[in-house]
Amino acid sequence: MSASGQGTAAAPAASRSVIRSMIAATLPVLLLVQLLASAGLELSSFWSQMKQLDGRVARIAESRAQLIAEPLWKMRYTQVASVLAEILQDESIAAATVYDDTGAAVASVPARSAGHGTAEVERPIHYSNGNMAVQAGRIAIGYSYGTLYAEAGKVLERLLVVGLLATLATLIAMRMSANIFIGKPLSIMMSAIQRSKQDGRAYEADIRSSNEFGQLAQAFNGLQLTTSNALERLQYLAWHDPLTGLANRRSLTEQLLLLSGKAHAPDSLVAFCFIDLDDFKGINDTFGHEAGDKFLIHISERLRGAVDAGDWVARLGGDEFVVIRPEVASEAAAQAFAQHLLQAISAPVRLRDKQVVPRASIGLAVRRADDPELSHLPALADIALYHAKSKAPGTIAVLNDALQHDYRRRRELELAIPAGFAEGQFEVWYQSQVRLGGNELVSLEALIRWRHPDLGVIGPAEFLPLIESSGNGSRLTRYVLTDACRALQRLAAAGHPQIRIAINLPPSELADQSFADEMQETCARLGVAPSSLELEITEGSLINNIASAAETLCRLRRMGATIALDDFGTGYSSLAHLRRFPLDKVKIDKAFIRDIPGSAEDKAIVGVIASLAGTLELTLVAEGIERAEQAEAMIEMGVVFGQGYFYQRPQPLDDVLAWLADEQAPWIAEGEASIVPTGASLVSGMAG
Amino acid sequence: MAGFLRALVVAGIACGVLAACGPASAGSLQSRSVVFVSPGKTGEVFWDMVAETMQAAGRKLNMDVEVLRAERNYRTMQELGLGVVARARKPDYLILSNEESAAVPILEAAQSAGIKTLFLSNSLIGDDAVRLGAPRERLKHWLGDITTDLQTAGARMADALIGAARAGKWQSADGKIHILGIGGDEITPASIARNTGLDRAVKAAPDVVVDRMLFANWTQSEAEQATANYLSWAARKNIRPAGIWAGNDPMALGAIKAATAAGLTPGKDIQVVGLNWSEDALREIEAGHLLLTDGGHFLLGGWSIVLLRDYADGCDFADASPHVRVKTSAITRDNLASVGGLIKAHAFDRIAFERFRAKPGHCGQYDFSIEALVASLSSANAARAPGK
Repeated sequence: MSASGQGTAAAPAASRSVIRSMIAATLPVLLLVQLLASAGLELSSFWSQMKQLDGRVARIAESRAQLIAEPLWKMRYTQVASVLAEILQDESIAAATVYDDTGAAVASVPARSAGHGTAEVERPIHYSNGNMAVQAGRIAIGYSYGTLYAEAGKVLERLLVVGLLATLATLIAMRMSANIFIGKPLSIMMSAIQRSKQDGRAYEADIRSSNEFGQLAQAFNGLQLTTSNALERLQYLAWHDPLTGLANRRSLTEQLLLLSGKAHAPDSLVAFCFIDLDDFKGINDTFGHEAGDKFLIHISERLRGAVDAGDWVARLGGDEFVVIRPEVASEAAAQAFAQHLLQAISAPVRLRDKQVVPRASIGLAVRRADDPELSHLPALADIALYHAKSKAPGTIAVLNDALQHDYRRRRELELAIPAGFAEGQFEVWYQSQVRLGGNELVSLEALIRWRHPDLGVIGPAEFLPLIESSGNGSRLTRYVLTDACRALQRLAAAGHPQIRIAINLPPSELADQSFADEMQETCARLGVAPSSLELEITEGSLINNIASAAETLCRLRRMGATIALDDFGTGYSSLAHLRRFPLDKVKIDKAFIRDIPGSAEDKAIVGVIASLAGTLELTLVAEGIERAEQAEAMIEMGVVFGQGYFYQRPQPLDDVLAWLADEQAPWIAEGEASIVPTGASLVSGMAG
Repeated sequence: MAGFLRALVVAGIACGVLAACGPASAGSLQSRSVVFVSPGKTGEVFWDMVAETMQAAGRKLNMDVEVLRAERNYRTMQELGLGVVARARKPDYLILSNEESAAVPILEAAQSAGIKTLFLSNSLIGDDAVRLGAPRERLKHWLGDITTDLQTAGARMADALIGAARAGKWQSADGKIHILGIGGDEITPASIARNTGLDRAVKAAPDVVVDRMLFANWTQSEAEQATANYLSWAARKNIRPAGIWAGNDPMALGAIKAATAAGLTPGKDIQVVGLNWSEDALREIEAGHLLLTDGGHFLLGGWSIVLLRDYADGCDFADASPHVRVKTSAITRDNLASVGGLIKAHAFDRIAFERFRAKPGHCGQYDFSIEALVASLSSANAARAPGK
């Protein structure tokens, strides 16, 4: 705003000023009018002087005629001539002649050089005495306007000079008065505008006159006030959440700067609480958005009520709130403060006549006021919040080094995902499923690993959520699918076409119809029968999209693929699911296997599941078999297939093929260690 | 001593009685002193001739005439006159000419001084006449005036001109006789009278037109110019100029000159009349250029001495009138021979002034006609004989 404002402010300064334009427009007219007026006046004066001269010469002619009458009549022509000669004293008169009654010139005075503009006047000469009255002759006088012309020329010159001087004086007067009456008020207003632009506040133009500029200034001041109010309102809106009236995300940055700028004591601690409401989406879905907004207002009021005057509360958007306490004595005090907030939030709220107990998670970060990372407080608190939300919703997580370490590792992995794909860092390892008793390898589960160049091999539990959240889940699935199909090719080539490969299908793929097409296309391209593929799904993915999941599964099954329900027993363990979805296999979660044969309960559960599978004609697979007695227990309970370290750890396909090549003799337990590749001990794998 | 004085007085009275009784010779008359203040210039013919006739008469009538000349300067005239009045030995008579009324202060001073004063040629006019009244009324010592009848002179001149024009059939295309009048001036009584005479004569002649009355200031040159102008004008107007009436001889001579210059022959193509009896005029008459010159009024000088002589001898001219008017006469080719010599030679001593004195019992009755003049003339030699 300020940059463009200065740009527009500079433009009028460079352009021609109003006063100059006014003067430029007025001056020629003024000069012209003055010159025309004075020329007109002089012309009329010249005209009247000509008339005066005409009259004067006529009078001279008449008076001379009287004087001359007698000498003329009495033929005293010398006297006539001398009387006539006297009129040459009038310098306008150029010549004069007296004619007698016969028309003969009896006397004349010589013509002067007449110059331009001559005229002649003629008068009869009457002579009378007591006895007679006759026309004795006539007198003719030639005269010149030359003197008048010369005089008029001089006057015009003077008028020109006077006109120019008057114009100059007017110019100065205009300039001065325009500066006083126009320029000054304009500059006052301009300066008020400039100041307003500089700091966004309204400055009044101090003009007290009652003329148009005074009125303009009043209007301007009114406008300034209005603009100022609007600006204040905009300012407020820019820095506040319109719903709750709390400070907004933008304010947060400012506030942090403020905190670092004016820390009360360098070693005082700042508590930063990042609050996220749990299941706010549920409230919105259940009660509607209006109620959701009301709910948020309630929460904001509670937060306001729970803090001290020096504390600072903001709503960052959605269901995220921030409370900063600029001075806390210790981290424990900060935790107590966060706890206090959590309690304040947790008081029940009435929404549409229903009691709702709000729940929130709080990520708490505490930093010294002079910490250079003070501006990172929101991110730090967010790490803690992430932890709380993911590990223990409805609690407070305090940021510590471990969390920070996790966070940094997570961030690092997230950033490394594109490179991981590009450089082929993702590897598919395979873990065998065997027929219990004979230990015959019937299928392999494809398990993804990330061979990070710096961090080594990373297990899927750590990076799969990152892949999913970064939107690369589908890509990874196809990567695994392709690798599995190639593995099937190689297995077939190695003489084991009966071995099938299971792929873990993430929930998103169930919702996406395109996976079936993709699988068909890939199988066709690589010459693999879809029936060699087994697709493992979790109960959670079924729950979220029951309709589309059922359709996708049906389609996949029609293609020949086998569908396995993974991790059964840990989630909903819905018997309805077992019935509704087109399942071929159920994999019992390793949690039930781990304490067998010691735990009678687990044995009972596994027993029930086995009998249920038998009833529903589902193939049962026990995961996580690590010891021989566990295998034996499974066999006893009628479980047909097993999977686990007891048989084989996940390993690259080459190792599997190598093992298969060696495997002609019956499988021995001691061989396990020899074929486990280095680094494979890190993670058991989702299915392992 | 007293006896001697008484004897003188008695002798004086006796002389007076004797003189009154009959014509007496100059030697027998008691001497009287006369001062004449002439307004004219030395060499100005008229006033010189006035003085000369005055002095000639003085010689005949035992009057001692002293002539002072104002040289045409009225201030000088007043100074001269007042000087005379202030003299210790005052003259018996003072003769003044009231030209331009300049002599009035002198007249009043003379009254105070008890000097008998006679106006010659110009008398009181206008306001002065009203204020001072008639001679001998308020001003006891103002004896009267002797003037010439110039109006009649003017008319006679005009008549002669008209007669000549008619005889020559010098009418213009309009059937009228066109004449030019040249006056001396427009203000002096002497001029006005002559001009009036012209007017009077022309009014009586319906076939005559005075084209112009021009004024030449009594001078020849101005008259010549005026005439030339007139003749030129007349030529342009297709007027046949028949005659030129000039108020005096010099102006007539100027007119003759101009007419001659214009190709006319005065006396044959055009007639000119003048006034003054001047010698030049007489010559022009003789040459046939000038029709006549009226005048003879210079003889007023002599006639004034005759009046004063009679007055001194107890025959007061005021018995008839204090205003003595003398008629002028014209000199033409016809009478030129009789008086021409007299005038040309200024031989005024040939005039027997004593013969013009009033007859006893007829005081104030005089015959100053040209005939009387001619009759009074003695031969040149005779005239000179009795004098000094």
